[in-house]
Amino acid sequence: MFCPFYNRQPDEEQGGHADQKTSPARTSHKKHLPPIPKNAVPITKPASVGTPSHLANGTHASYGPFYLEYSLMAEFTLVIKQKLPGIYVQPSYKSALMWFGVIFIRHGLYQDGVFKFTVYIPDNYPDGECPKLVFDTPVFHPLVDPVSGELDVKRAFTKWRRNHNHIWQVLMYARTVFYKINTAEPLNPEAAVLYEKDGQLFKSKVVDGVKLCNSHLFDQPKVDDPFAISFSPWNPAVHDEAKERMFTFKRRPEEHHKGAQVSGLSWVKPGSTQPFSKVDSPQS
Amino acid sequence: MMASVVANGNQDGQSLVLNGVDPETCMIVFKNHWAQVVKILEKHDPLRSSSMHPTLSASAVQNYVEHMLFLLMEEESGQGGCMGPILEFVVMENVMERLFVWSLRREFTDEMKLEQLKMYEMLVGQARQPLLHHKPILRPLMMLLSSCSGTAAPAVEAELVLLLNQLCCILAKDPSILELFFHTSEDQGATNFLIFSLLIPYIHREGTVGQQARDALLLIMSLSAENERVARHVVENTYFCPVLATGLSGLYSSLPTKLEVPNEEWHCLHKVDWMRMPSLVQFLNSLEFCNAVIQVAHPSIKDQLVAYIYNGFLVPVLAPALHKLTLEEVMTTTAYLDLFLRSISETSLLQTFLSFILLHQHESVYILDTLVSRINTPFQLGTVSMALFRTLIGFYCEDVMLQLILRYLIPCNHMMLSQRRVVRERDFYSTSAAKMLALTPSCCSPDHSPPPLRQLDSILFSKGGADTPNSSNEQKSFSEEDDSSGNSCTIGSEIYLDVSYLHYLYDARLSISSCIRACQVWSALYDAEDPPPEKYQPGVLEEPKLEGRQTQTALKRVPKLLVSNARSGLPRGEPPSIHQLELEWDDSYDACPVQTTETPVEGKPAHLSPSEPPKHIQEMRRTAIMLVKGSYIEENEFQDDVMVYNLVAKKDSSEAEHAEETQSDPAHAPLRNGLTLPTSLVSDNDKNSLKAKAKGQTDCNGNLQNATPVESGEDFLAQYEELICILDSEGRGKRVKGDRELNKPVSPVEEEEEEEMDFMSFTAETPEPEKLQSPFGTVQRLRSGSSNRCYSVPFTGPFISVLFSRLENMLTNPLHVNLLLTGILAQLAAYPQPLLRSFLLNTNLVFQPTVRSLYQVLATVKSQIEELSASRLDFPERITAAQHWLLAREASFTATGDNNRLRVKLQCEIGFSDRIGKGWEPLP
Repeated sequence: MFCPFYNRQPDEEQGGHADQKTSPARTSHKKHLPPIPKNAVPITKPASVGTPSHLANGTHASYGPFYLEYSLMAEFTLVIKQKLPGIYVQPSYKSALMWFGVIFIRHGLYQDGVFKFTVYIPDNYPDGECPKLVFDTPVFHPLVDPVSGELDVKRAFTKWRRNHNHIWQVLMYARTVFYKINTAEPLNPEAAVLYEKDGQLFKSKVVDGVKLCNSHLFDQPKVDDPFAISFSPWNPAVHDEAKERMFTFKRRPEEHHKGAQVSGLSWVKPGSTQPFSKVDSPQS
Repeated sequence: MMASVVANGNQDGQSLVLNGVDPETCMIVFKNHWAQVVKILEKHDPLRSSSMHPTLSASAVQNYVEHMLFLLMEEESGQGGCMGPILEFVVMENVMERLFVWSLRREFTDEMKLEQLKMYEMLVGQARQPLLHHKPILRPLMMLLSSCSGTAAPAVEAELVLLLNQLCCILAKDPSILELFFHTSEDQGATNFLIFSLLIPYIHREGTVGQQARDALLLIMSLSAENERVARHVVENTYFCPVLATGLSGLYSSLPTKLEVPNEEWHCLHKVDWMRMPSLVQFLNSLEFCNAVIQVAHPSIKDQLVAYIYNGFLVPVLAPALHKLTLEEVMTTTAYLDLFLRSISETSLLQTFLSFILLHQHESVYILDTLVSRINTPFQLGTVSMALFRTLIGFYCEDVMLQLILRYLIPCNHMMLSQRRVVRERDFYSTSAAKMLALTPSCCSPDHSPPPLRQLDSILFSKGGADTPNSSNEQKSFSEEDDSSGNSCTIGSEIYLDVSYLHYLYDARLSISSCIRACQVWSALYDAEDPPPEKYQPGVLEEPKLEGRQTQTALKRVPKLLVSNARSGLPRGEPPSIHQLELEWDDSYDACPVQTTETPVEGKPAHLSPSEPPKHIQEMRRTAIMLVKGSYIEENEFQDDVMVYNLVAKKDSSEAEHAEETQSDPAHAPLRNGLTLPTSLVSDNDKNSLKAKAKGQTDCNGNLQNATPVESGEDFLAQYEELICILDSEGRGKRVKGDRELNKPVSPVEEEEEEEMDFMSFTAETPEPEKLQSPFGTVQRLRSGSSNRCYSVPFTGPFISVLFSRLENMLTNPLHVNLLLTGILAQLAAYPQPLLRSFLLNTNLVFQPTVRSLYQVLATVKSQIEELSASRLDFPERITAAQHWLLAREASFTATGDNNRLRVKLQCEIGFSDRIGKGWEPLP
C-alpha cells in the first residue's frame, strides 16, 4: 500500500499522507520516472558519524538498498498505523532517508504551534545511530538547538536498537517534548534557564516563536523537493473537494469491501476450520 | 410461403404505401378480406368433400391472410392504449383461432407449421400494439406451439425456437403477460408454462437453435428471480434442473476419454485446445449456461440446479472418471476438471465444484487427497495435476487453502512452542529475504548476468541531499558497502540486477496486493492466534462433521425426481466413520504399526482396520516402492509420506537414467491410485529421451554457434529451446548423482547398488528378498532414532510434502515443470496469512527438526546447482544462453499481447474464464 519512494508523480501528493490509502499503483509510469527537479537546494546533511556502515543483511551487497528501502517502507507503515496525533510525515521524493514532517501542537505552552521538521535517517539504518530530527525553524525549546534547529533525540535513544526502536517513536518523542518540558542538559541553555527561572518570559518567548513560525507557514519549503510539505491559504476551489473526500472517507472501506468480494472466496464459518461450514453462503 | 411473402412485402415499400392510407380504409380492406376468407372456410371445410380444389382454396386463404396480417401488424394502437379497430375486430371475430383450426383440419404438415410459426413470429415481433394480452390471439398461438412440441423437422424446430425466443423477449420486457401465459396453458391442459417446457429439450442443442433456446430460457430465469410463481413452477413442475445437470453428464460422456496431447510440455487445456474439440465446446456451452442460470435465476432454482449438478454430474460421473484405470484417462479428466473450474464464474457453482473436490469421498478417499497424491506422478498426469492446483490456489478460496495447507499449520506443531509469536512478527530488515537471496547459486549472481535485453530501468535512491543530483556517479549512496566488485552496490542505471529485481518486485507487489484484497473475506487471520492452535491439535482438528454444510442442505432440497441418479450406496456426505476421518492424512498412522500383507499389490485387504492408513496411502506406498526400487520392501519401513513422495520423485529420475532397462517392464506397471501404465507409453518415452540424448551429443556445438541474436522471432526462440533441451538432457545424467548423495538419509538403496539393479527382475509379483538387505540399512537407522515418536508428529500436509519433493528435483525436472512449480510457490508466497507466510518465508522461525522448510529444500537445490556448475567447464556460457532464451521467451509473450506482461500471463493461464458472464447477458 505504500510505495512513494521512487515512482510517485510529484503532483500527486500535496498534503501530507492523508491519501496513503490511494497510493498510486505502479503502472504506466513505472519505467519513466519524473525528472529530477533541477536546482535542488543542497541540504546540509550532518556528516554521518561513526564507523563505515557494514552489511548486516546478507551476502549480496547489491540487494542492500532494497532491504533498506523495505525497512523504511515498513517504518513508514508503522508510523501510519500509530496514528500519532497531530503529526504528519512524508518521505522525500529524492531519498527515502529523508522524511518531511509537520507537527501540530494542540494544547499546552506551545499551543497552536505548527512546526515543520525534517527527519534524517542514517544510511546504515537500522545499525547506525538514531535518526535526526531537525526543525525547519529553530523552536525556542530547551531541547532544540537554537542554531541548527535539531532536536535532541539521542537522549531518548542513547543506542538505536534494531527491532526495538522505530521511527514512529522518534516522532512520538518530538511530540512529547512540547507537552512535558525537560531542561536537563539542554541544547538551548537559555530556554532551559528561562523555563526554570522565569516562566512568564519563557512563555512569551514561546508565543513569539510560535507566531514567527506560523507567519512563515506559507513560505515555500526550504528544500526543493516535490514531496516537501507546503502550506497554502485556504482555497475553496482546491481544498473543498479534498475536505469533502476526507470527511466521506470513513464510508469508503465498506464499499470497498463489497467490491473486493469478487476475487476472494470463503465459506468457512468464523470460528470453524471446516470448509463450507457456513450454512448460507453470503456470496451467492 | 405465406409468411415469406408477407415478410418481403413488409421489407419493400408496402409499409410506406400504408403510411399514407387512413385507418378506416385499412379496416374496410381487412373486413373485406376476412369476409372472403370466411366464405372459403365455410365452403371448403376440408373435412367435407370440397367442391374447390384444396390447394387452390388454401392459396386463396393465404393470399388474403397475408394482407390481413400485414394490416394488423401495421395498425397503431388506439387512443389511450386501447385496441386499434382491426385488432378489436380480430379479437371479436376470433380470427386467429379460426384460421388455426382451419389449417389444423387440413393436413397439418411441417410446412404448414412452419408457415404458421413464421406468421406468429412476424406478428409478435413487429406488431405496433401489444397483441399477446388478448386471449383470442394467445390461445391459437399456444395451440400452435403445443402442436409443434413433438416435431422433428429441423426447419420447424428452428422456427419454433426462434418464436419461443421472441416470446421470451416480450415476456422479459412485459412480465404482465406472464399470468396470461400461465392461464392460457391451463386451458389447453398442457403443462402450465408451455413456452418454458417447449424450450427445455433444446438446452443442450448445438448451434444457433441451442443458443437461442438457452438465451430464451435465460430470460425466463431472470424473470424467475422476481416472480415467485415462475420460480416455483420451474422447480416443482419442470425437469429443467435435472435436464440441465444430467445433460452435463451426457455431454461429458461424449468427450474424448483420452486427449491427444500436443507435446510433453502441455499441461492444461487452453482456448486453442478446446476450440478444436466440438464436443468440449458443447459441454462448455452447457456449463456456461448452468453458470448463467445460477447467476440470474431465483434462489430456489439455483439451489436445485446446484444440487443436481452435484448429485447428477459431479458425483456419479466426474468422480469415477477421476479414478479411471489408465494414466491418460485420469490425466484427461484432470485437465477437464481444471478447465471447468476456470470456466465457472458464478460463486455458488464454483462452491459446488470446490466442495466436491474438498469434501467428496470416492471409495472413502477424498478427491482432494487423490489429486494431491498425483502431483508426484511421473508423466503428464503430474503436471496436469499441478496445473489444476495452480487454478485452485488462484481462487483465493479460504476453504481450499484450509484443506490444502492451513489446517496442518493451525496447530503450530511444525514449530517450536516459543516460536508462535514469531509468526506474526514483521521482518523489518529483510533478514529472511537476505537469507533466501543468499541461496542464489553463484553462477546466477548479478555479476555474471548477461547484458540485459530489456530497456534499462533505474531506481532513485540517494542519501538525503548528500549528493549532487546531476552527475552520473553520485548515486553511489552505498559505496561504503561495496565488497569486491566496485559498483555492485550502486543504485543507478547500469546494474542489470536492479532492472530484473525491480520487475520482480513489481510483479510480486501486484500479486501480493491482489491476494491481500481477496483474502479480506476470509473468516480468520491464520496468525497462530486466530484460530487458536490449542483448540485444533491433531485429532481435535476435525470438528463434528458436516454440520450445516451447504451442499448437504441443498441436497435435501432435491425433489425425488432424480435421487435415483445419485450413486448407489451412501448418499454423498454421509458422515464416514470417525476413524477414517481422523486417519485421513493424519500423521498418526505413520506411528502405528501397520499390518504387513503378504501380497503387496493384488491382495488388498477387504476392509480397513481402524489402525491402518487410508487405502490410497497404502496403495501409494506400495506402488511407490515398486516403482522406485522395483523391489519389495516392507511397508512399515516407511517413515512418512514425505519419504514415499521422495521415492516416487526419485523414480522419475532413475527412470530417465535407466530408460533402456525399463522397456522390458511387465505389460502394465502398477501405479498408485489403481492406475496402470501401458508399456507403450514407457517405451515411447524412452525413445524420446534417447533421441534427445543423441541429438544433444551431435548438435550441441553447432547450435551454440548458430544461436546468433541476429536471427529474429521464432527461429531465435526455437534455437534456444533446442539448446535448453540439450542442456536438460545432458544435465540430467549428471545431476542424478548429486541428488542422490544429498538425499542419502532417506534413500534406502546405496547408489552403486542401484546402478547394478536389473529392473527386469523387479516386478510387482516377484519381490526379491535378497535385495532387502541394503535398503533396510538406512531405513532401520531412521526408525530406531524415532521409535518413541509421539502421536502428533509435525506434518505440514501432503500438498506441501509433494510440492517440496518436486521442488527438490528441480534439476531433473523439465523446464515447464519447474515453471509450474515455481509459479505455484509464488502463488502461495503471496498469501498474507502469517501462518503460511512464516512457514514458507520466515527463515528466523525455528521449526521442529522433522519439518522440512522451503529454505532447506532450496538450499538442497542450490548445492546441486553449485555442484553441477563446478563440474562443467562451459557452464557459464550455458547459463548465459539459457538466460537469453528465457528473456526471449518472455519477450515473445509480451509481443503477442499488450505490453502488460502480467495480463498476458493471466490470459494464458485463465484464458477462458472471462468468456462466461459476458456471453450470457440476457438480450434486451
